[in-house]
Amino acid sequence: MVEKKSLRKKILFWGALIAVMAFCLFPFVMMFSSAFKLSEGQFDYPPKIIPQEITFQHFKDVFNPEVFPYFTFFKNSLMVASITAGLSVLVATFGAYSFTRLKYKGQKLIQRGVLFIYMFAGILLVIPLFQIVVNAGLYDTRLSLIITYLVQTLPVSLYMLGNYFRTIPESIEEAAIIDGCSRVEVIFKIIFPLSAPALVSVFIYAFMIAWNEYLFASVFLTSEGNFTLPMGLNSLFHTQHYIWGRMMAASLLTAIPVIVLFLMVEKFISGGLTFGGVKE
Amino acid sequence: MGAESKTDELPFFKSLFNPETKSQKEARLGYFLIFPTVALVTGVILYPILYNLWLSLTKVSLGPSQGGEFVGLANYIDVVSDPQFWGAMGTTLIYTVTTVAGATLLGLAVALLLNREFIGRALARGVVLLPYVVPIISIVFAWKYLFNPVFGMANFVLVDVLHLLENPVNWVESPQYALWMAIFFEIWRAFPFAFLMIIAKLQSIPKTYYEAAEIDGANWWQKTLKITLPQLKFVIASLALLRWIWNFNKFSEVYLLSKQVNVVSVYAYEKAFSAYQHGQGAAISATLFLILISFVLLYVKKVLKW
Repeated sequence: MVEKKSLRKKILFWGALIAVMAFCLFPFVMMFSSAFKLSEGQFDYPPKIIPQEITFQHFKDVFNPEVFPYFTFFKNSLMVASITAGLSVLVATFGAYSFTRLKYKGQKLIQRGVLFIYMFAGILLVIPLFQIVVNAGLYDTRLSLIITYLVQTLPVSLYMLGNYFRTIPESIEEAAIIDGCSRVEVIFKIIFPLSAPALVSVFIYAFMIAWNEYLFASVFLTSEGNFTLPMGLNSLFHTQHYIWGRMMAASLLTAIPVIVLFLMVEKFISGGLTFGGVKE
Repeated sequence: MGAESKTDELPFFKSLFNPETKSQKEARLGYFLIFPTVALVTGVILYPILYNLWLSLTKVSLGPSQGGEFVGLANYIDVVSDPQFWGAMGTTLIYTVTTVAGATLLGLAVALLLNREFIGRALARGVVLLPYVVPIISIVFAWKYLFNPVFGMANFVLVDVLHLLENPVNWVESPQYALWMAIFFEIWRAFPFAFLMIIAKLQSIPKTYYEAAEIDGANWWQKTLKITLPQLKFVIASLALLRWIWNFNKFSEVYLLSKQVNVVSVYAYEKAFSAYQHGQGAAISATLFLILISFVLLYVKKVLKW
């Protein structure tokens, strides 16, 4: 009797688990299968999950700059995302160190005020920022994106690093100061090495935000040579480049770096953050 | 009064530029290190917000170089008397309410499901996070492909396998169904975030609570209702608030999937960048923000009771 009940429970559990996995994975399965499917096979009806014949042609096309500008978009995204992430780590380390370790007037106000930025989503800023970017002569530059993304990522970066710095015992720093280190030396010689996991996580978080961003890119950029991946791939939707297999291969190549990076720091991101942890 | 406070401030500034004691030195370094953050936030967030308010009071003719003409509240009157705006606001409300509820509940259900020991738990957890991690641009194409009216898997299953529909439907690009597709997509994409936050909280509930309940003969439902849910109340309420703030302004997830879903953010975007009515666009986004803030304050007061 008891065994029967627990068996039924087990079947229910595994059934539910498989359903959840299928729900999460199915779009990825289609992306994967389509990326390796012959162009003629894309419109088969009934649709097939496993392609009859596997081809690497779409990947070859994606990497061929004469066929498809994917490489340019990839390069731009990589550049914008890496610089944004590096600057975000640097600025946020200084900022978070300032309000967790040093005492001055207005410190609490700044600390709370930064989190308030959460309320201002992209759509509220994009119109005035567009005008500011044009007037500053930054229209159609990747620099305009780097500055905007940097500020978008700062609140969470500051929050994550602030929380991490509070776990480093102050006595270590005090000892170093007694030994004759200045505060600035303390930051570079003690805080940076001790915070390595947090710095890497912040870097990856900021990188992902910049890699993903579409709204500002669609407004600030106009020439194809400057397009980032979201902007570039979306602009191809109604052109002759729009071949399903090729788009899926491009999608897959766009997703892989981010997924790999995320899985590397998943433990830290989900363990160390509770609220305000991830901004969209 | 003014003169008095000025003399009070003087030593403060003096110490800032000419620090003598150790604590004055520390304070100077503090300002120095926080300066880049404050400057960036002021330049890229605070100033644009104020500039947006100014823009919303002007009529901006072709291109920003010409400068606007002050028109008072005319843009706001146009926006409020435009039935299209209220239509978009209705769409935004439907989108926000359904996605907040859907993503939070699904996240809760999956967190309860995975909150036990089983083989492959770490793998299952990673798989659940995938929809949240993948860049929007790389997954929208798979969704469009899946729900394609001619050769999509969804129509095949609904029409030819299950016979639930007579004819295939253009899910993504028809005005009738596009909103529901956008909602479905957003729930799929956002539920892992709720899952992540809820399962973190679940793991922190002391085991002794459950052991005590088991001694009293409580079953799974009773334990969930009497112990788990009350413990999760604050997490769920905060998650719903955050998701509400994010989804009320949601743009990319909607616009990249389908151009047929006219939420307010898309409406403002098209007004500003397709019709080049920057003043009106600014007025729409300012109105959107006012409505959002009112919702948030109401929620914080009535639900979170802060």
